[in-house]
Amino acid sequence: MARLKDWFRQIFFWEILVGMAATLRHLFVRSVTIQYPHEKRALPNGYRGFIALLRYDDGTEKCVGCDLCEAACPSRVITVVSAEMEGQPLKRYAKEYTMDMTRCVFCGLCVEACPVNALGMTKEYEYATYDKRKLKLDKEQLLAIGDRAFPVREKRVEYQHPHAAFFNVAHRGYPAK
Amino acid sequence: MIEVAQYLVVVLVTIGVVMVTVLLHVAYLTYFERKILGWMQDRMGPMEVGYHGLLQPIADGLKLFFKEDIVPAQANKIIFTLAPILVLVPALIGFAVIPFGRDPIHIFGLTFRPYVTDINIGILYVLAFASIGAYGVLLGGWASNNKYSLLGGLRSAAQVISYELSLGLAIVGVLLMAGSLSLVKITEAQGGGLLHWFIIPQLVAFVIYLISAIAETNRLPFDLPEAESELVAGFFTEYSGMRFAFFFLAEYANMILVSCIATILFLGGWHAPFEALSFIPPVLWFVGKVYLFLFFYIWIRGTLPRLRYDQLMMFGWKVMIPLALANILVTSAVLYFVKG
Repeated sequence: MARLKDWFRQIFFWEILVGMAATLRHLFVRSVTIQYPHEKRALPNGYRGFIALLRYDDGTEKCVGCDLCEAACPSRVITVVSAEMEGQPLKRYAKEYTMDMTRCVFCGLCVEACPVNALGMTKEYEYATYDKRKLKLDKEQLLAIGDRAFPVREKRVEYQHPHAAFFNVAHRGYPAK
Repeated sequence: MIEVAQYLVVVLVTIGVVMVTVLLHVAYLTYFERKILGWMQDRMGPMEVGYHGLLQPIADGLKLFFKEDIVPAQANKIIFTLAPILVLVPALIGFAVIPFGRDPIHIFGLTFRPYVTDINIGILYVLAFASIGAYGVLLGGWASNNKYSLLGGLRSAAQVISYELSLGLAIVGVLLMAGSLSLVKITEAQGGGLLHWFIIPQLVAFVIYLISAIAETNRLPFDLPEAESELVAGFFTEYSGMRFAFFFLAEYANMILVSCIATILFLGGWHAPFEALSFIPPVLWFVGKVYLFLFFYIWIRGTLPRLRYDQLMMFGWKVMIPLALANILVTSAVLYFVKG
């Protein structure tokens, strides 16, 4: 009896009909495609995109030029040239701060290393360019990214701004707002 | 003199309308295929050019038109040039005998019939030209001077010859019942609703025809001549630009042609399935049935993987041809004893 059933299944192309039913079912399944340039993915809050230099609320740079990010960087992206503030021998700042984003692996170690939370990771990822020299960012460009990605300069920005990404190590463990 | 001029105008206009319609359907068939395959794989298919990619076939055509036309250095240039034409012309010429609708149209005192010509050996004519298409594929594969092309051409020749046999034999049952080779007469023999269509008495022949038609048009799961995972692109590996487009057009035109023939032979051509539905124009019934078959081909392509070569040959010779012969035997015996 089982053999007869198999025989009937074979002559009526049963397996093929089952397969065709599957494809027909998928004809009505909603497609999983995201039409990328027109619609974009919702990125998770821990997303590690472009790195930005941040400012205090009064607009001054947070960076004190300590060079720890340069030391932490595994792919030697960051170059910091530190200098003293004019007339304020105890205050230092980064005279030059360059990031060669062609080498960056977006590990976030520089953000973790920064003692003054001057670095942040944004959700920007569209940095394709025709000229790779444009990816060597100087301090002004990095600050501009920071201004763009974190327009609200408040304390504990990562708990307040919807775009706040993985921000820095010092605020970890704070209770959620 | 006036009669000759009128006749010429009627014939040329009919040919022009049929050609343009067929080529437009060919162009948009590629779009439907990509869309349906995309949906079946949970994708979207073409979306960028025009609303939901509706202008994609036109963009593709323009792109192919402006591509560089490369003839390989070691190729046989005459045959290499001839092959795409030899494939495309038979595919389009078969539409001359297809009756698309029922009623002639009268404009400016001229009578346009819904077919280019009605010859009394219509179906034989279509089959004959379909076999010429196989020459184009074989010669194109040979003239490219490429091993993949040659293998593709050889496979195509072997496949088309074996499946054309079962295709022709499957048709014989219908011809016995209709008593004519003319496609117009075969259509008219199926009037009077769903139960008079030849799909019901000739179900076996219908299934054989469907399977052989897929093999005949070199489509999945019988696309061995152009198996891209084994033979790059098979017989048109070396072709580019418009010549490639000719092969492409021919494949899709052949798809439409075999669907038209299947519609006429088994689904009653332009006849409506029920008398109550005959207010819909016959042409729409015809096109709808043709698209049913075209959807079926795309559906099969979205479902099945490619057959192995020996499986293909074994299925063709050991299953399809004996079945088709048995079908002829049974049909003719029944017709002889029942209808006398």
